[in-house]
Amino acid sequence: MKQGWAIASFAMTIVVGACASPNLFPSEVMEGVDPNFDFSRWRMVPNQALERNIQLGGSILQSERKDGGVTIVARQLPIVQHPAYGPKDTGKSSGEFAIAFPGSIDSPFLQRGNRVIVVGTTKAASVVQLDDLPRSLPTVSAKCLHIWSTEGRDIADFQSVGAGYNTLPEQTFCTKAQ
Amino acid sequence: MERTRESFSDRKEEEESAAQEIVNKPVTSRQSGRDPAQLLIYRFLTFTSNPGEIEMKVLRIFLLSLWCVLGAIPLAPGTGTAGEIGPSKPRSSVIVAQKADNTSPQGPSTMDIPPGGTSIEDVLLQKGTITQDEWIQIRAEQEYRAADQSRRLDSIEEWKYKTEILPILRDKVNFGLNALQFLYSHLDAQVPEGRSQDSFSIRRSELIFWGKISDYIPRWHALFEMQSTSLTSNTPTSGASTPTAATFFRESYIDVRPVQSWAPNLNMIRMGIFRMPFGIFTETSGGLRDVISSPYLTSVGGGPGAPPQNRNGTGGQIEFIQERDYFVDVRGKIANRLEYVVGIMNNNNFQANALVSTTSGLGGANGPKVGYTRVRLFGNDVSFISFTTLQGESNNAGTLINGRGKGRFDRYAVDFRYTSKILPGFMMQGEYWQGHDGANATTVGTAANGACQNVAQCGGSGAPGIQRRTWYVLSKYLITKGPFENFEPTVMYEQFDPNTSMGNDLYTRTIVGLTYYFENFPPKLQSKIQFNYEFRHHSGLGTGPGTPPYDSATDPFANNAFFVQFQVRFM
Repeated sequence: MKQGWAIASFAMTIVVGACASPNLFPSEVMEGVDPNFDFSRWRMVPNQALERNIQLGGSILQSERKDGGVTIVARQLPIVQHPAYGPKDTGKSSGEFAIAFPGSIDSPFLQRGNRVIVVGTTKAASVVQLDDLPRSLPTVSAKCLHIWSTEGRDIADFQSVGAGYNTLPEQTFCTKAQ
Repeated sequence: MERTRESFSDRKEEEESAAQEIVNKPVTSRQSGRDPAQLLIYRFLTFTSNPGEIEMKVLRIFLLSLWCVLGAIPLAPGTGTAGEIGPSKPRSSVIVAQKADNTSPQGPSTMDIPPGGTSIEDVLLQKGTITQDEWIQIRAEQEYRAADQSRRLDSIEEWKYKTEILPILRDKVNFGLNALQFLYSHLDAQVPEGRSQDSFSIRRSELIFWGKISDYIPRWHALFEMQSTSLTSNTPTSGASTPTAATFFRESYIDVRPVQSWAPNLNMIRMGIFRMPFGIFTETSGGLRDVISSPYLTSVGGGPGAPPQNRNGTGGQIEFIQERDYFVDVRGKIANRLEYVVGIMNNNNFQANALVSTTSGLGGANGPKVGYTRVRLFGNDVSFISFTTLQGESNNAGTLINGRGKGRFDRYAVDFRYTSKILPGFMMQGEYWQGHDGANATTVGTAANGACQNVAQCGGSGAPGIQRRTWYVLSKYLITKGPFENFEPTVMYEQFDPNTSMGNDLYTRTIVGLTYYFENFPPKLQSKIQFNYEFRHHSGLGTGPGTPPYDSATDPFANNAFFVQFQVRFM
């Protein structure tokens, strides 16, 4: 009888766990995040939506370490639930944006093509060098970042890359205040 | 003289006035107020300016008149005055202008002349430096260039479109080099006549092709091992074996993700031949392995100098688990922590496909299917512990896997990997396997038929059903800073017990390695040179009556070995 309850409890845990979305960030970081944030509009008029809490997904184009922080330029990608939770390259991108993170991130996680979800506040557009050209990009001051080290592949496809089984390194980075 | 000056002045004013009118207009309307039809006729007539071709010109006028009658009359009443323009235009410029007419909307009128401004030739015309004819010629050439540029752009656009739909640029088809490995090896054992302790060889030469068809077919995959063309012996039920089977491909599979919203809980169905999800080593690509030799887990014993199979089940080559097989399975991940695989396979190695008869339908499997499952629990993103089991039956007749008997077949395993985040670069992994092989296990190519332990009757080794066990622990540390950056010391220890109910038959090996990475971006890129020294030991072939004599001097698995391998991998 006890075994039956144990199995049922385990199965229930699995089912509940399967249906839940992964919590990448602390709940206090997610407070006040605008679920209906219009990236396209912000991309066009970045200075009209300042200090708003947002969550964005993207693919890293380049990154630069400076003054103890990291500036990441990312291509915006939609965040999907399936086939794997995270930013997915659907062939549709609304443009690039910059992420200012006042902390350190290990080099492997800053590789081009890595997928990233950032939670933070919108700031005035900043000028970054993209492909040796100065670009004014809307900027997010990151509270937390979650990076999947996919190096250009989609999250769901990564495991099969490389003619074998591969675990996907992923990590959350938060500012010290969080 | 005065009059001459006045006349000249008047004429100049007239010319400037006329020039002012035509500035900033496309060449099609710059024939001093003539309309496009007039210009067309003018160009037509002046196509040949040779005086000796007057007859042709008359003929053209006739044809032109006929054309006008047929419908082009509304062009202009002054068509017939085209001859007034005169035949003095250079032939080439007129042809050019004719071509430019078609593209005049994209021509210089909109491209070259700044709004409200004038071009150089306009200024020159206004100042009388060039004649109107020269002006027309210049403009015509400009328009020709513009038209040519436009045509080139169209051509580039067309190629761009063709290029964009190329499968290789849409992730439908990709190819890469899974592993190209050049190996130097030295073995301390006494080798047979005609063989050497030292040799150069190509360990792997594997091309890989893959692609993503759609979200529902997220991957197709094919890997070709360039050394797989040699025939493998079969295992007949009686008599001598013959070289029978070979497959050029080592891996070919299709992934199907039937319902997107079920993923990742039910991520995909995989079908084909691939590295089996048995533990860690088996599923690790040959281009990403941390040591040069394969673990005893997948193959041990056999070869020239090594003791052959015996009644103890301790000799001959033993492939405790095969690296690849033909299978269909279901894979998924629950709550981002629990990964599972459930499937069924042929259980007859990668060569089995060559035995399939597509006409009769006779298969390459040599018996009942074997089911398998693996559950992997992640502690974090890159550290885990997993449990694997294989359950079913095996057959010795027709087998393409060494050491398989007839009867009950099972494997149980636990494995782990710890990738340190506290000490980046440090990784440790290990596997522990145990399992039962049916009676009368045999090596591939030795006739076998049935589970009886009478070699004269059933062939094979005559060994009873055997419980086997193996385990290893591997550890490595990638140095990421300082003068030894990109160096990676590695150490691995393993044991293989071919018969757990018997002593004095243990294989042990310690591998000490050093790897230097030229490029290290796994899983896609990895170029490296590896130095491995293997301390090998083989206790013997067991105990008790009937145990064959054992000579460790000639057994490669009882003598140390040294390997150096240079690898390139790119995908």
